[in-house]
Amino acid sequence: MILSIIAYLSIGLFVGISVFKAYQFAKMPFHGRMDLYPVPKEKGFEHGGSYYEETAWWTKPHEVSHMREIVEMLKEILFIKKLFENQRPFWWISYALHLGIYFLMAWTILLVVGGLFEVNGISVAANTSSILGLLVYYVTALTGYFGLALATLGSGLLFLRRAFDNTLKKYTTPQEYFNLLLIFAALVTGIFTWGNDLSFGYAREVTANLVTFTPFSANGLLTLHIFLVGIMLIYIPISKMSHYVGKYFTFHKVLWDNNPNLKGSGVEQEIKKASSFRPTTSWSAPHINPPAAPEK
Amino acid sequence: MLNQRDLRPKDMGRSDEQLIKLDNLIPLLAPYDKPGMESPLTDPKPAWKEKFCTSLDGYVGIDTLTRPKSKEEEDEFVRKFLSGLEKIFSDANNGVLQPLLLSFEYCAKCNTCSDACHIYSATGNNELYRPIFRSEVLRKIVKKYFTTSGKLLGGFVGADIDVNWETIARLGELAYRCNLCRRCAQTCPLGLDNAILSKEIRKIFSQEMGIAPTPLHTKGTMLQIKTGSSTGLSKPAFLDTLEFLEEDTEEKFGIKLKFPVDKKGADILVLHNAGEFMAWPENPVAFAILFDAAGLNWTLSSEIMGYDSVNYGLWYDDYQAKKIALMQMKVAKEFGVKRMVVAECGHAHKASIITSDRMTSDRVPVESCLPLLWDMVRNKQLKLDPSKNNFPVTLHDPCNIVRQMGIVEPQRNILKAIAPQFREMTPHGVDNYCCGGGSGFAIMNYANFPEFRTQVASRVKFNQILGAFKGTMEDVSTPKYICAPCSNCKGAMRGILEHYDASEKYNLQYGGLVELMVNALVSMKKPFLEFLE
Ligand code: SF4
Ligand code: SF4
Repeated sequence: MILSIIAYLSIGLFVGISVFKAYQFAKMPFHGRMDLYPVPKEKGFEHGGSYYEETAWWTKPHEVSHMREIVEMLKEILFIKKLFENQRPFWWISYALHLGIYFLMAWTILLVVGGLFEVNGISVAANTSSILGLLVYYVTALTGYFGLALATLGSGLLFLRRAFDNTLKKYTTPQEYFNLLLIFAALVTGIFTWGNDLSFGYAREVTANLVTFTPFSANGLLTLHIFLVGIMLIYIPISKMSHYVGKYFTFHKVLWDNNPNLKGSGVEQEIKKASSFRPTTSWSAPHINPPAAPEK
Repeated sequence: MLNQRDLRPKDMGRSDEQLIKLDNLIPLLAPYDKPGMESPLTDPKPAWKEKFCTSLDGYVGIDTLTRPKSKEEEDEFVRKFLSGLEKIFSDANNGVLQPLLLSFEYCAKCNTCSDACHIYSATGNNELYRPIFRSEVLRKIVKKYFTTSGKLLGGFVGADIDVNWETIARLGELAYRCNLCRRCAQTCPLGLDNAILSKEIRKIFSQEMGIAPTPLHTKGTMLQIKTGSSTGLSKPAFLDTLEFLEEDTEEKFGIKLKFPVDKKGADILVLHNAGEFMAWPENPVAFAILFDAAGLNWTLSSEIMGYDSVNYGLWYDDYQAKKIALMQMKVAKEFGVKRMVVAECGHAHKASIITSDRMTSDRVPVESCLPLLWDMVRNKQLKLDPSKNNFPVTLHDPCNIVRQMGIVEPQRNILKAIAPQFREMTPHGVDNYCCGGGSGFAIMNYANFPEFRTQVASRVKFNQILGAFKGTMEDVSTPKYICAPCSNCKGAMRGILEHYDASEKYNLQYGGLVELMVNALVSMKKPFLEFLE
């Protein structure tokens, strides 16, 4: 029971806190422009161009391709393109971790699906007669192997690199080592817990029990694993590992936001709203707040 | 003094007389690769050490940052900095809060951005100039004073820095070792921007502590707000200058030029960096010749704030930036023009087109001169003879116009049409390197700062130039032209060429784009570019 609660609670908090963070960033005050080219939605993206390459640009329609923006975004999400282009050696290990996490997310969903199949009498096994069961069985196995291997390798190597690279060492705080170790520990306990049964039948059974609040006997290792994963899931969105939230804003709301302030535009509305705001704090330098003249 | 390799962000508070000494600059390319072609870097004078903060790397970036005379002054300095630091995260800083917090919170310390920085590269990867070095110092101070985690957990979360006068002063200086070129931001996998943090440090110094380099503040924005121009050029002096230039143009080229001033019903208001009239008057003259040749209905303004497009506030003080931008916009509105065209000044481009775009609603539209000039060439409004420009030409991309505005093609299209020996630098376009004069460096000319600018900040650019002209440098009879369509970049180029004596020794020349265009005009009886005579 307790373990079921931890499972639900941690996933709930992971999603909840992440959404809350996104909400906090989204409701931050309207800011000045900081576009940086190339901007994918622009027609001139290939050479890094913008609508300012046209004369009287404000009289012409601003041609944008949201498709290109989505494609570029997907390249970043799926492949971490910027790291690949600018720092290949680091990309290998960082990508291993991230790809591993994607696999593990898929794996978790598949375990839930498989577990529910089993509960409902659909066998998920290598020798099942159900095509669906067979599919879930193999895909679960593959995502599980790859996910656990890549993510463990990635987090472990990232930790080692940070610990032994003289430059990175200077900038890494103990907390940042802790972050990586937490992920690594959650993964290693996972490998020991699930590794005995490579068909992941045991994992499916446990998942089904967790999902359906069915009491079951858990050994110390399994309890530790679920506990660590739970803590990790709650801790990630609180820490700066929540960069999956930040990254959306840095690109969409800062570097790629070049919408001009034209009459009747949404930007104009925002500016009008912002201009009526009176800040509660003010700067103290003499050219902003001249010292009061001495009384006569 | 530390070996730069051992330098860590938390060392900023150490009591060393100077944290590091620059001694490992990357070599210059041929013909500057021979020993003795470059003067060695110098040590700060003892008087500077006593008066300013030379304890970072020996250079004086902020001439108004002077050493405290008493413990009280020292404490007050730290207190004020911390109070400003708190304010950058408050509603006093709404206009940058979101981008700032993102860049502040999320750095993964992956160091992908380091190699993108020309200052870090030029110094042979000196730790002090790594883009995240100063960001990390700032983070440590914030953690230490303003977060619960920092107060409770201290070093575990990175709050392990001593904060004293030296720490803060060095951090202020370090904010002036960054050109705010944002090249590093292009490479960050998380989209973070270390230039924002450099600028916020500059802002705390200026907006809260009242400390900013004199050329930027007292003789920059303050002077502009008072007299209308950061050059101090008054309206009568401006009109005199124009008259002089008209006479001079007639005398030199036989062209009867008349600068339209405050012309009612004009379609376009042209905004120059007023510094051009003093340092490179051939540039506004060339603009006038071209606009007349193309038959545009244009004018200059002689209104206070109407004849100087600069806005140094961009580099260090949002309050000043906004004040100037609004004053400039007001002039244009009252004038009643349909549009404004910014001439060859990069930061003025960014100030009046991008930064001020969200300061007020109901603006007069502003555009860059570059597409307009390309239109003239493309539509054959000008009769051009490219053979008049038959010498090697390369193009410098001003960061503000290119990386930060996306104006990439028009200027190269023009050069391809008018300069048969045009060649690109590597890299170029949005991936260009800063000229080393960005964010105020070009006009910061006191103490030993010019040495830092020319030999360090401009170093990678100089190598790019030498690379572009490879094989032609030694041929002294052939001029080689660096086309830099930006006043500040020209200032940096002038610094480089003078320092390395490159015009004298190798016939390396620099200037804007319009000068080259006028030089190619069929109607010109003699070369417009002086070095061709
Ligand atoms: S903004 Fe430019 S100068 Fe500053 S750290 Fe980044 S790359 Fe270097
Ligand atoms: S590339 Fe981005 S995340 Fe990586 S160190 Fe630089 S600023 Fe931080």
